Amino acid sequence: MKLRSRNIQNQGIPTASMADIAFLLIIFFMLTINFEVDKTQVGLPKTDLRFEIPKRSAFISVTRQGQIRVSAGDEISVPVPGPEEVLSFAASVVASDPTKAFVLKADKDVPYQYVDRVIDALKQAQADVIYLLSEQATVEGG
Amino acid sequence: MKFSRGKASDEIPTASMADIAFLLIVYFMLTSTFAATRGLDFALPEDQKDTPLVDKEESVLIEIQPGGQLIVDGNPMRLDGVLDYLKPKLERNPMKPVIIRPDQNAEYGYMVAVFDELRQASEKIGLEVKNVSIPTQREIDMFWY
Repeated sequence: MKLRSRNIQNQGIPTASMADIAFLLIIFFMLTINFEVDKTQVGLPKTDLRFEIPKRSAFISVTRQGQIRVSAGDEISVPVPGPEEVLSFAASVVASDPTKAFVLKADKDVPYQYVDRVIDALKQAQADVIYLLSEQATVEGG
Repeated sequence: MKFSRGKASDEIPTASMADIAFLLIVYFMLTSTFAATRGLDFALPEDQKDTPLVDKEESVLIEIQPGGQLIVDGNPMRLDGVLDYLKPKLERNPMKPVIIRPDQNAEYGYMVAVFDELRQASEKIGLEVKNVSIPTQREIDMFWY
């Protein structure tokens, strides 16, 4: 007796697991991504040491021209006319959360006087800790 | 007359699930960026009244000139020589105060570079620089003169 096996192959690409892969990617993005509250373009200084900045930290950015933008950490940053306003901003942030970290995102080429006034305002507002935002100077771990 | 019998599928249609999921991925990728989320921490004194006053003569003063030239205790010095200069002083006094004083027109990046170098002291010379201060111009005007 002769039996002929018939091999019927499915011609479609199996896409059943596509959704699973996609949802895994979504979960990855949701867990790893920080929404940037300040999109000011600055040339950050490079450092060898860098520490993770706490989430929802308050941001103060200083451009090369000395323009300052501030954000309490939950909303998009807004420009302020000068360092004097940084003091009132920082005081209100510290009043609502005394342990709030401040991130100073300043251009590496900005004259120090602008940064000095911002740091002075943060000191007067009794801010707890400042993070000087930086880029990695060398390859991590190298 | 002939009626066609509509046969309902028992399965939930999931063909568009992947499309929706990839749309969500694209949304996340476009609305957010892998922002720089690291930096050097710099603790501020908790209370100004309790801040110890640092005597200029007892401390190591690192002045930063515009262009990045360093003057350490009055002597020009390269950045990679600062920790070697500090090492014997820190061996004698681990709490030796180090004051970073950038010129008002010096670029901010040089201040960060000096601060970064001092923070790496434990790795480079085996001693920690525990007492670093960066006084602001207002503090200098108030307390130094």
